[in-house]
Amino acid sequence: MLKCGYSNYRQMAVRKIEPILELKQLSKSFGNANVLHNIDLTVHKGEIIGYIGPNGAGKSTTVKIMLGLIDEFEGEIRIFGEDISKGDPAYKGRIGYVPETADLYENLTAYEYLTFIGELYGMEEEAVDQKAKQLVKLLGIEEVYHSRISSFSKGMKQKVLIISSMIHNPDLLFLDEPLSGLDANSVMIVKEILAKLAAEGKTIFYSSHIMEVVEKISHRIVLLADGKLVADGTFEQLQGQNKDGTLEEIFNQLTGFDEHDQIAEQFVSIVKEG
Amino acid sequence: MRNYPSLKFIDLFEKIFRFFDVNYPLMRKILQIKLTMDRRRAPTVFNERGKKEEDDESNKFLKSLWIYAFLGLILVPFILIRDSYIFPMSLVYGVLMFLLMTSMISDFSQVLLDIRDKNILNTKPVDKRTVNAAKIVHVSIYMFILTGTITGIPLLVSLIAREIPFFLVFLGQIILIDLFIVVVTALLYILILKFFDGEKLKDIINYVQIALSLSIVIGYQLVIRSFEFLELDFSFAAQWWQVFLPPVWYGALFEVLLGQSRDGYLLLFSVLAVIIPFLSIYIYVKSIPSFERNLEKLAHQGAAKKTKRDRIGPWVCSTKEERLFYNFAKKMMKNERQFKLKVYPSFGLSFIIPFILIFNELRMSSFSEIVDSRYFLSVYFASMMIPTIILMLRYSENYKGSWIFRALPITSMTPLFKGTLKAFMVKLYLPVFLVLSFLLMLIFSVGIWFDLIVVWLVSSLFVLICFKFLNEGKLPFSESFEMTQQETGKMFLLFIPIPIFFGIHFWMTTFEYGVYIYGAVLLIANIVFWRKL
Repeated sequence: MLKCGYSNYRQMAVRKIEPILELKQLSKSFGNANVLHNIDLTVHKGEIIGYIGPNGAGKSTTVKIMLGLIDEFEGEIRIFGEDISKGDPAYKGRIGYVPETADLYENLTAYEYLTFIGELYGMEEEAVDQKAKQLVKLLGIEEVYHSRISSFSKGMKQKVLIISSMIHNPDLLFLDEPLSGLDANSVMIVKEILAKLAAEGKTIFYSSHIMEVVEKISHRIVLLADGKLVADGTFEQLQGQNKDGTLEEIFNQLTGFDEHDQIAEQFVSIVKEG
Repeated sequence: MRNYPSLKFIDLFEKIFRFFDVNYPLMRKILQIKLTMDRRRAPTVFNERGKKEEDDESNKFLKSLWIYAFLGLILVPFILIRDSYIFPMSLVYGVLMFLLMTSMISDFSQVLLDIRDKNILNTKPVDKRTVNAAKIVHVSIYMFILTGTITGIPLLVSLIAREIPFFLVFLGQIILIDLFIVVVTALLYILILKFFDGEKLKDIINYVQIALSLSIVIGYQLVIRSFEFLELDFSFAAQWWQVFLPPVWYGALFEVLLGQSRDGYLLLFSVLAVIIPFLSIYIYVKSIPSFERNLEKLAHQGAAKKTKRDRIGPWVCSTKEERLFYNFAKKMMKNERQFKLKVYPSFGLSFIIPFILIFNELRMSSFSEIVDSRYFLSVYFASMMIPTIILMLRYSENYKGSWIFRALPITSMTPLFKGTLKAFMVKLYLPVFLVLSFLLMLIFSVGIWFDLIVVWLVSSLFVLICFKFLNEGKLPFSESFEMTQQETGKMFLLFIPIPIFFGIHFWMTTFEYGVYIYGAVLLIANIVFWRKL
């Protein structure tokens, strides 16, 4: 299935369709700290972008800027061909978002929350309810559909977040650690959902620290370090540019981190001390 | 989710919202969700009774309103004063502003400071105008209900007793004050967030919550006493520094509109009363963007604080383990917001009640009579906080962390209990007791010092009694606050020994050396029973 999504992307790229998302010279600083530095990125329809980088590299900031949560930045951002700095929030209607911090109105029931989100996206309550009911059933949380989210386990909350990000059939998805807290079976389901969505022509921005997953599901990998784009290409291309290895090893090389062995050794020796 | 009456009321103004380009159906939907969520949390005023019931859909805020209605009665006698406008009305507006402001900060700060809104609402195709409108209307609904409850009876009294012009000015100014308070609270947050981090703001909100709970207790006293003020004499001369007292502006407006005074200051104050609310709205709207940016700070952790070295700890703890848990409990009590919120009001009560008793007596006897009496023994009522706090020591926001006690290779839990109880006595009870003792020595004489030591020894035994009676082997900080409800009955039973202690001590003072012998016996009892714990 993954292969199918990938070839689809190649066909699209060949046909030179207008990009879904374009960042031109995007920079952002908080006070004196330069968080993003001249980021250029073009994303096409049907791509799954593995968006990776060390903690504090500026990944969340980029996503927040694209969603209009941070409104001061330098450079240009076009989403669906539209310049977002004009302040019209309509483009958000075609975007789904799973934030890293699982922010939910936990005092609401899953039903209340999902219908509310659907309505914010301009859907009718009835329609959202119908859709949500089927989706929660598929993810195995239908018994708690009318219970408050505050009583949910981490995995159940994550399922609600995933459903809420897709309920309005968006064309572009920003997913930040979407698999966190899910059990192995649910992880398989969600990975498969992402591949199928991409095959349908949806674009997915996938942020995670788990390199094995990123390596497997992404068509293209974008690596951010210290606010700069340090790599952009398919996994095979990255392997070609660097020494062969897993994405984890490539990640270590590109972020200039080669001390894990020494650190681990020191750690253990301190643990052993009386 | 229901179609709340307040929403139906707002429907009347749909056209106005549409005129300002607000997406009305969406705003209404957001409000409906917010109101539903409000029904599922308990406000501070209701703290003592509030508990979580899964299916309870009635708004706890609405249930707590009667307290405000009662507090509103304070205003009535002032409205009846006919000799002057500015003095009584300034007091009326002062009380009103205080009540509105504190309740705004303690119960509605969540509305203004909800950082989830950003991730949930602003990522959706909803324009900011609509989200902000929903926020403002949300707060306004509560302000409207709250003000209505506090001023309902006073307004009615003013209509009957003071005729229509008075009523209209009163009402009009209340509306201005509402505006003023909402905006000033928001501006206050903007200011705090600009200079401090989110932790500081949360601390400040916590302190205001505590102040609110306390002022309600004092409020009860004032309601009863306020009718005595009726005979006071009111001479009022405007001063320049009153420019800084907003209630006086509104009192002045009254004087200017209905009274005869045309004093320059009063005219200035009246102008301020009308202009400032609108000016602050303007400033608020201008600073919303920077506010939203600074709101991010709430999500971040504050900088690490330096801890002072504890000099008392090593003295009161005999073993290393006990000292360890003493320090742990000390930090828990200091840092847990929920704990502080539940405990500090009773803390303040302990402080006030001895004086309330003394002042009550003052109405019947002269000051010199009191000084010669044994009324300093009212300090026993400070120990009312002991059962409450000992019960609360069992709870924590982070109760889930208590698995650590079970996982550790500790043979006995005794050091944990001892350390926690001692931390409570040293860190919470001792400061209150020392300040009280100091004040009582000022009123009575330094000669009461030995009696105070006896009181301390009794309190220390009382701590053990409460612990034995309430604890049931539960570990400190190991249960969720939502469980509190079940034990309160027992706690009230533990107030009974307090007058008994008072009685025994009083009885001992009637013998020569009685107090000294009593003190010696208590000291031995303390040593024996603390060891046995």
